[in-house]
Amino acid sequence: MTVAGTERRRQLATAFIGTALTLVMGAVLIWGFHLATNMRANITALQSASALQNYPEEIAHQLNTLRDRLEVRAYSGQALSDLQATVTRFDQELKKINTGGNSESPQLDRALLLWHQYRPVLDPVVAFAGQPYVESDSAGSALSREGRKHYAEVKQAQLFAADNARPLQAQLASLASTLQHSSSDAADHLRGLLFVGVIAALMLAGAAAWFQRARNRQERVARDATEQTRDILKTVREGFFLLDANYRIGSVWSEALTRMFSRNDFAGLSFEELLQNLVPAATLSTATKYIKLLWGDRAHENLMKSINPLGQLEITMDNGHGSKETRYLQFDFHRVMGPEGVKHVLCSVGDITSSVLLARELHDSQENANQQLDMMLGMMHVDPLQLVSFLDTAETGLKLVNTILREPARTDAEFRKKLNGLFREMHSIKGEASALNLKSIASRVHSLEDMVSDCKKRPELSGNDFLPLVLKLDDLLAHLRGVREMASRLTAIKDTPAGIAAQTATLSTTMPSMKLSAATPAPPAPVATPERGAPRSVEDLRPALQSMAERLAHDHSKRFKLTMAGLSEVPTAYSATIKDCLIQMLRNAAVHGIESPDVRQANTKDAEGTVRVEFRKISDGYELVFEDDGVGIAPDSLRTAAVRKQMITEEEAAGMDTRATMALIFRPGFTTQDGVSMDAGRGVGMDVVARSVYALGGKIGVSTHPGRFTRFKIVLPPSEAASSTAVA
Amino acid sequence: MSTNSATFNGKRSFKLMIVDDSNIMRRRIERSNKFEELELVGTAGNGEEALELFGKTDPDVVTMDLTMPRMDGIECIGRLVALKPSIRILVVSALADKATAVEAMEKGANGFLNKPFTDRQLNEAIAELMR
Repeated sequence: MTVAGTERRRQLATAFIGTALTLVMGAVLIWGFHLATNMRANITALQSASALQNYPEEIAHQLNTLRDRLEVRAYSGQALSDLQATVTRFDQELKKINTGGNSESPQLDRALLLWHQYRPVLDPVVAFAGQPYVESDSAGSALSREGRKHYAEVKQAQLFAADNARPLQAQLASLASTLQHSSSDAADHLRGLLFVGVIAALMLAGAAAWFQRARNRQERVARDATEQTRDILKTVREGFFLLDANYRIGSVWSEALTRMFSRNDFAGLSFEELLQNLVPAATLSTATKYIKLLWGDRAHENLMKSINPLGQLEITMDNGHGSKETRYLQFDFHRVMGPEGVKHVLCSVGDITSSVLLARELHDSQENANQQLDMMLGMMHVDPLQLVSFLDTAETGLKLVNTILREPARTDAEFRKKLNGLFREMHSIKGEASALNLKSIASRVHSLEDMVSDCKKRPELSGNDFLPLVLKLDDLLAHLRGVREMASRLTAIKDTPAGIAAQTATLSTTMPSMKLSAATPAPPAPVATPERGAPRSVEDLRPALQSMAERLAHDHSKRFKLTMAGLSEVPTAYSATIKDCLIQMLRNAAVHGIESPDVRQANTKDAEGTVRVEFRKISDGYELVFEDDGVGIAPDSLRTAAVRKQMITEEEAAGMDTRATMALIFRPGFTTQDGVSMDAGRGVGMDVVARSVYALGGKIGVSTHPGRFTRFKIVLPPSEAASSTAVA
Repeated sequence: MSTNSATFNGKRSFKLMIVDDSNIMRRRIERSNKFEELELVGTAGNGEEALELFGKTDPDVVTMDLTMPRMDGIECIGRLVALKPSIRILVVSALADKATAVEAMEKGANGFLNKPFTDRQLNEAIAELMR
């Protein structure tokens, strides 16, 4: 306000001084013109007066000449005509001086008075037009009557001239002198006036220069201010703009807006247009109403701030790389008041995405901590042995899930089959977790189950649909590891008898990294943590394997019993491998080996099948026998499948003996499944089993009798850790 | 209450109407009111009652709940403002979403207070309302 007032005063002063000086200059010029005109008249009069000075004497002289002529009876016409011309000229010049603006001159008045007395005396003389002489033989030339009269008038005029010519001349000289003075004075005045004019002009030029300088300075200040404003608007991290009464953005805005909204056509854009396509219609409608309220008289700053619907606005926009990006913006509004109410609304926009995400992360982490606390409290009520048993079962179940995910699939039906398998396993783990009140595990499995259900509802399935499941499964496995760790800590805190403590402390096993079929993208491999305690004895897995067998039997409508012997003999170094092999083979046997009770009975077999597991120490190491009394494996079907898979040629197939044929099932990628029915053949995952056995320096073999049994025999070398078998 | 007197600028007493379907909340607001200039002329349990009471008592200041049976607060605000444009309405609601607040303001409310509130918050909101 002060700056604007100073500026206004300055402008007024400029205008006033400029006008005053211009007026002075104008007056000087007009006055000068007037003086110059007067001077010109004076000079003309002076010239006339100077010329007239000699006329009275000239007239007197001419009168003398005329009288002389008349006296000697000479020709007087020329003399009279000269006199007439002189008188007429004198009279005219005198009149001109009189009308030339010198009527107030006393000298002129007196000269005129004298002339007016003189003129009547001269008039009869100059008016004479008769014959002055008469010719007679006696007397010769003599004055005529009118000549005598003329002579008398000339003499009278001569007499008057003798008396008055000099005074008249003096008056005229005096007039000339006065006029000269007057002209001189006028010249002085003009000079003075011109001096004033020059001064005024100089002052005007000076003032103009001064104001120009001041103006330049102001312009520089204004330019600096504009530049500073531009710099601020360019650098500031918040988006700033003004909204006018039509809710449109003004021409000045900060560049941060460009980054926030990925556009730069803000000037003239309406607020509604700004948010269109970025926010849901309902939010846009509320925002528009809110902006309108800001112009109302009920909009107190605090109130409007408290109901600001754009305090944390979630917007979705293209990130320029073809995908969508969600950002959180905070809009703040401040009304800019003018003399007639709200003039503008200043809008500031901040990108609060990182703080929102941080807050969310904090919240999640808090939730997680709370969940862990709940879990810890929940676990304190669970019998440690029961907990361990559950964790084993869950782990076994998840490995089964892994196996299911690894099964190759191409058609929709195959994918659906996989989903059904996953769902069954998930459901069973969830049930047990709920029964033990392990809510964090149950809720995780539940959400995984939901994802499987969602997948099932999709009209078409592809391998990509399994990716989120794999990630979620990974999260679940990580959580289970956490629970294991917590269980071991808890056990330590509880300070239970050494046996249980040791048992719980050795809970953790290395999680085998998950390998998935080509149809399912590989998830990040769970981190193996062998340092978290020694591998557990396989013997401890007995209940988990039993319950897995029961579940498999139930899910696949089979009946079989699982007998296990010698598992306590498994050296610690082999326990993880043995465990994985058992899970894999048990699943194969349950799903593919053992026939359904009807089929078995039709083939005169016991309705209830048998799966036998036996581990024993042999002279040069250990031996694991896994046998089921199911359908067995037909070498022909293996050969056919291998040819179909183009793993061998038909010629090779024809030349293969049974032993070589059976070895096919340990080759990577081999399966008798052509399409994907899970019951179509044997050998699922046997390549993995074989690989892990080879890794330990062991051997794997298979013997089978179609329709009677399949027997896998794994031989492992002596282990250095053989003496340290885990305590049962 | 010197600040309050200042707020009310020495005017004559104002008539207050409380509209809320909860009896407890009505009493709470009544008890919290610290303004001597604000005289309670009636309470209503829904929008329809509020309109009826308005006809009888001609209140100047109204506290208005939004979620009420028969006629909700938003509609009632619109009716009251149409009947008496100078009326001052403070919305007191548990509805925390900003869209509701904006809609109430659009209908003519002058203030917004979220439930639950403290006595101080209520009195500050009323003072703001009367400014």
